[in-house]
Amino acid sequence: MIDALAAEWLKLRTLRSTSLVLGVVGVVVGLMALLAWYAAHLWDGLPPGQRDRLEVSSLPELTNWLASLCLAVLGVLAFSGEYGTGMIRTTFTVLPSRGRVLAAKAGVVAVAAFCAGLAAVLATYAVGRLIIGDRLIRGQSTEALSRQLPLFLAMSLSIAMFALLGLCLAAITRSAVAAVAVLMAVWYVVPIIVNNIPAPWNERIGSILPGALAGQLAGTGNPQSVGGALLSPPAALAVMVAWVAVPYAAAAVLLARRDA
Amino acid sequence: MIEVRELTKRFGRTVAVDGLTFHVKPGLVTGFLGPNGAGKSTTMRIILGLDRPASGEALVGGRRYDRLRHPMREVGALLDAGAVQGGRTPLGHLSWMARANRIGGDRVVSVIEQVGLAGVARKRIGGFSLGMRQRLGIAAALLGDPGVLLLDEPVNGLDPDGVRWIRELLRGLAAEGRTVLLSSHLMSEMELTADHLVIIGRGRLIADTPMRELTAVRDVFVRSSRAGDLAAALSAAGGTVTAENGGGLSVRGLDPAEIGDLAARHAIPLHEVTPRGASLEETYMRLTAELTGGGADR
Repeated sequence: MIDALAAEWLKLRTLRSTSLVLGVVGVVVGLMALLAWYAAHLWDGLPPGQRDRLEVSSLPELTNWLASLCLAVLGVLAFSGEYGTGMIRTTFTVLPSRGRVLAAKAGVVAVAAFCAGLAAVLATYAVGRLIIGDRLIRGQSTEALSRQLPLFLAMSLSIAMFALLGLCLAAITRSAVAAVAVLMAVWYVVPIIVNNIPAPWNERIGSILPGALAGQLAGTGNPQSVGGALLSPPAALAVMVAWVAVPYAAAAVLLARRDA
Repeated sequence: MIEVRELTKRFGRTVAVDGLTFHVKPGLVTGFLGPNGAGKSTTMRIILGLDRPASGEALVGGRRYDRLRHPMREVGALLDAGAVQGGRTPLGHLSWMARANRIGGDRVVSVIEQVGLAGVARKRIGGFSLGMRQRLGIAAALLGDPGVLLLDEPVNGLDPDGVRWIRELLRGLAAEGRTVLLSSHLMSEMELTADHLVIIGRGRLIADTPMRELTAVRDVFVRSSRAGDLAAALSAAGGTVTAENGGGLSVRGLDPAEIGDLAARHAIPLHEVTPRGASLEETYMRLTAELTGGGADR
């Protein structure tokens, strides 16, 4: 298993799409810095009495939201790229145990996504604090990093969950297009639809959507999100695990059964 | 040693491999021939554990491929040279394989040199020609210094130098006692490279035979200014003589020495004496004629 992990790590590192996706995550952080600068500029221009009317979405949360999609795409490409080129047959000749290949890919993608996600969220927090400084802009937390760290770690876990979901969807569908389409639905389309169904089902279903889990896991709720917040942290963690375990099991069964 | 036993594989209602049994012995280059859709690639994929057979089994060194701990050290395979990700370099492509099978990094460098890609070891594979990709695929097959090699159409896209290089490489590997299974559509190339042939058609075995038996001497072609006298003399000596359309005689049952001696005894001048074997191509066409004669049904 160590050999398979090391091999998959080498593969992920030497894949062109990996650096591309990580570059996009960097661009997202840059955009957040730009947004922070713009918000600070607006805030400075407002008369003091009107400043509390300016509200800007939490920047780390925006980064979390966008990085989830980016790293889910990284997960997709870690598998679909091999199906597209026929390289999957080379992989299974080099590592004949398909369960081991899936586990190794999942391991390296999860670690890479967690680290990249954490780095992006922390960087966003840091540049946000640096630019906004002591301005009290609604939506921006002024709490110290130590108080926010649980939320940032929960966000990174959520990003890793999205990446694994992407990986498993690619293994199941063997197609980047199909896998990304399903991801887009789960990430963007379904939350909007769920938000518009009658109560109490909007909140009930909204609470178990993958994008709503980080806030519930950290116990901060989802004040700015369309997702619900009915789950306790342990329940949120369990739902998070389920979002990975179910597609993972399906991918493992299909990989073992299908001809490569 | 590769053992294929009673192998059957279906894709939907199509039977791709149908009760196929053959052995590939060490120390020889075994050519694997058959028309398109005969089941060659499917058989190779089953040997490598990529496709699951409906019944039967394929063993390498007595074990199923997917039971091998470090398969690349026992079996080297090249199925499709195009099945690589263009963003990687040869060094990157071979390094992860080496890591997966606990093969040292120095081996990666040495196979890259062996196949002649040292100059482009750090260039992206995406810009490679088919011939360069074939060389990379062969480097991957050789990486684990395996005792068994499986190569599907390795000379596709190679220039004449490359074709000759592969021929000598494979003959050398077989001479070291390795098992080499090689598929190709180039009959003339196969005739030069292979010692033994396994020919299949529609998933069934057609021939499993040494090359020399397929291309054994068939007749002797003779030209003479007194063809009529020569024909009579040869017939009297027990030969079977047939006049050929372009002039000259086809003689069976007598070897060139006997024909020459006989002609000298009768003072008949000879202009040409050529022993003729069937070419592999002719024999192959004859063996597979009934399969392809029915028209393209696949």
